[in-house]
Amino acid sequence: MAEAKFAPQAAAVKFTMILVGIVLILMMTFGLIMRLNQSGMIEIDSALFYQILTAHGAGMVGTAGLIGAAIMWYFMGRYVPLVSAVYIIFLGLFLLGVVLILGAIFVGGYAGAWTFLYPLPAMSGGLWSGGAAAIFLSGYIAIGVGFLLMHLEVGRQLIRAYGGIGGALALPLIFGKGKPEDAPPASVIAAMASSIFNVVGIVVGAAVLVASIVNLLEPSFGVDALFAKNMIYIFGHIFINAAIYMAVIAVYEIVPEYTGIPWKSSRVFALSWSFILIFVIIIYPHHLLQDVAMPPWMLVMGQIISYLSGIPLLAVTAFSLLVYLRAGPVRWDLASSLLVLGVAGWTIGAVPAVLDGMIVVNRVMHNTQWVPGHFHIYLLLGVVAMAFGFMAWLVRDARTEGLSGLDQLGVGVFLVGGAGFTLMFLISGAMSIPRRWAVHAPEWGLQAFIASGFAFMTILGVLLFLLLYLGGLMSRKKA
Amino acid sequence: MSRATQILAGAGLLALALLARGWFEATPARHMLLQYPLLIAAGALIVGALAHFYAGAWNRGGVASLLTAMFAMAFWMLPRMVDASVAALPVDIAKAASLAVLVGGGLRLGWPHAHPLLQAVLKAKAVSMLGILAFLYTHAPERLCNAYLLDDQQRLGEMFLLAALVLAALWIVPLFGLSPHASRTRTET
Repeated sequence: MAEAKFAPQAAAVKFTMILVGIVLILMMTFGLIMRLNQSGMIEIDSALFYQILTAHGAGMVGTAGLIGAAIMWYFMGRYVPLVSAVYIIFLGLFLLGVVLILGAIFVGGYAGAWTFLYPLPAMSGGLWSGGAAAIFLSGYIAIGVGFLLMHLEVGRQLIRAYGGIGGALALPLIFGKGKPEDAPPASVIAAMASSIFNVVGIVVGAAVLVASIVNLLEPSFGVDALFAKNMIYIFGHIFINAAIYMAVIAVYEIVPEYTGIPWKSSRVFALSWSFILIFVIIIYPHHLLQDVAMPPWMLVMGQIISYLSGIPLLAVTAFSLLVYLRAGPVRWDLASSLLVLGVAGWTIGAVPAVLDGMIVVNRVMHNTQWVPGHFHIYLLLGVVAMAFGFMAWLVRDARTEGLSGLDQLGVGVFLVGGAGFTLMFLISGAMSIPRRWAVHAPEWGLQAFIASGFAFMTILGVLLFLLLYLGGLMSRKKA
Repeated sequence: MSRATQILAGAGLLALALLARGWFEATPARHMLLQYPLLIAAGALIVGALAHFYAGAWNRGGVASLLTAMFAMAFWMLPRMVDASVAALPVDIAKAASLAVLVGGGLRLGWPHAHPLLQAVLKAKAVSMLGILAFLYTHAPERLCNAYLLDDQQRLGEMFLLAALVLAALWIVPLFGLSPHASRTRTET
C-alpha cells in the first residue's frame, strides 16, 4: 500500500472547517425556527418560512459538499502534490456562491427551495423577481464551477500518480491482475470514484441551471419539465451522495490511527466503489417515483438500485469498521467517537431511505416528514458527526488523551438531540404529517414542539464541538 | 511533418474551406461543425510551422493566445456574424482569416504551454458549452440565424450534442489507459 508522501494543506482546510462550524450552527438555527413555527410556539410570515426553508436546504447541501471537499482535499494532499491555488479558488467561488444565494433569498425574496424545480423559479406568483431567481441559480453555478475545478485537480493528480483512472480505482485488483499491497490506499479509491461521479452530476446540473436561467431571461425558451426534473435530481442526488462519500475518507484515514490497523484496499472494497460509481448515477429515479409520466422501467430501476446501493459500500464500510474496532483496543476520544458515530448514522439513515425508495411505500410517504427524517439521519448523525470528528482530529495535539467530561457532554447532547430530532421526523412521517409546510394543523403541533427541543439540544452539542475546535486551534497557535 | 508540409497542408485546408464555401455554408451543421474546424486546423498547421517566430514571455502559460482564441471563437459563434459571413464574401474571408490565425493559431501556440489543469478546465468548458449550445439550438422557438431554417437549426443543436459526447469520450477514454509505471515515474521526477 502506498505511503503518504506529501504534507497536506492544513491551514486552508482548518479555516474551511471554522466556516463549516459557523454555517452549520446558523443553518441549524434556521431549522429550529421552522420547527418552532410548525409547533405554533412562534409565528413567522409564510413567505419568510419558505425563504428560510430555501436557505436551510441550499446551505446544508452546500455545507455538506464543503465538508466532503475539505476532507478529501486534506487527505489527498498526503498522497499527491495538489496545487494549493486551486483550493483557494474553490473556496472563493464557494463563498461567492453563498453571497449570491443569500442575497437572492433574503434581499430578492427567492423561496423556490434548494431543488429549483423547473419552472418554479420563473413562477413566483409575485413573491420574487426573475432576477432574484437568476441570481440564486448563478450562485449555484459559481459553487459548481468551484467544485469542478477542485475535482479536476484531485482527479488529474490521482490519474497521474496511480496510472490512470483504472489504477486509482484499483481496477487491476478487481480483475485479479494486482495484489492488495500494490493497490492505492482506500481513500484514493474513494476520492477517484467521488470525483468522477460528482463531475458528471455537476455537468448535468450546470446544463439544467443554464437552461433555467435562459428560461428566466427569455421565457419563450421552454424546457421539458420532466426532463429538467430528471437532470436536477441526477445533480442533486449525486452531489449530496458525493458529500457523504468524500467525508467517509476521514474514516478511512483517521480510524486506523486509533486501531493501529491500516484500512485495507481489498478486492471487495475496490469492487464496492466501482459498483457505487455506477449505482450513484443511475439510482436517481427513486426521487421521481410519484412522476407518473416517467417510463416505468426507470422507476423499477430506481427501486432495485436503491436496494443494491446500500449493500456494496455501506455494508463493506460499516462491516470493516466493526472488524477493525473489534481487532484490538481502540483509543476512544472525541475524534474516534464522532467518526464511528458518523458511520453508524450513515448506516442507520440508509434504512428508512431504502424503505422510501420502494414504489408502494413512496406513493404514500414521499410528501411526508419521513423523507427529511431519513436524510437528516445520515446528514446530521452521519456527515456532520464525521465533520466534527475530523475537526477534533485536526486539533488532537492540543487536546488531552481520551474523552474529557466536556467531550462526553458534547457527544451525549449531540447524539440524544440528533437521534430524537430525526426520530420525530420519522414518527411524524409515519403519521402522514406533510413536509415543507409553513402552517401545520394544531394536531401536529406536539411533534414539532418535541422535535424543537431535540433540535435545540443538537445545536448546543454542535456549538460545544465548535468551541472545542476553536479552543484547540488557539492553544496550538500559542504553543 | 516538416514545416513546409505543414504549411502546404494548412494552405490546402484553407483553400478547401473557402473554395467550397457554398457547399459548407449551405447548412448550419456543415458550416459550424465542418468548415469551422477545417479553418481552425488550417491555422494550427500554418502557425505551428512558424511557431518559433512567436516565442517569448508574452505568452507565458499559453494564457494570452488561448484567451485570444476563445474570444475570437465566441465572436464567430454569434448568429449575427454567422449570417454576415454567409451573406458577404469579405466577411467570410475575415472569418476564415481570424478563425485560422486567432483560433487555430492561438490554440496551437497556447495549448502546449498551458498548465494541465487549465487544459482540463478548457476541455470541460468545451464539452459543457457544446451542451448548452445544443440546448439553445434545439429549444429556440425562432430562427437564430436568418440564413438557416428552423429545422436546420434544430439539427445543428443535435449535432452539437453529438460533438459534446464524442469529445467527452475522446478525452476521457485515454485516461483509463495510462501505464502505472510511466505515470509513477513522471510523478517522482
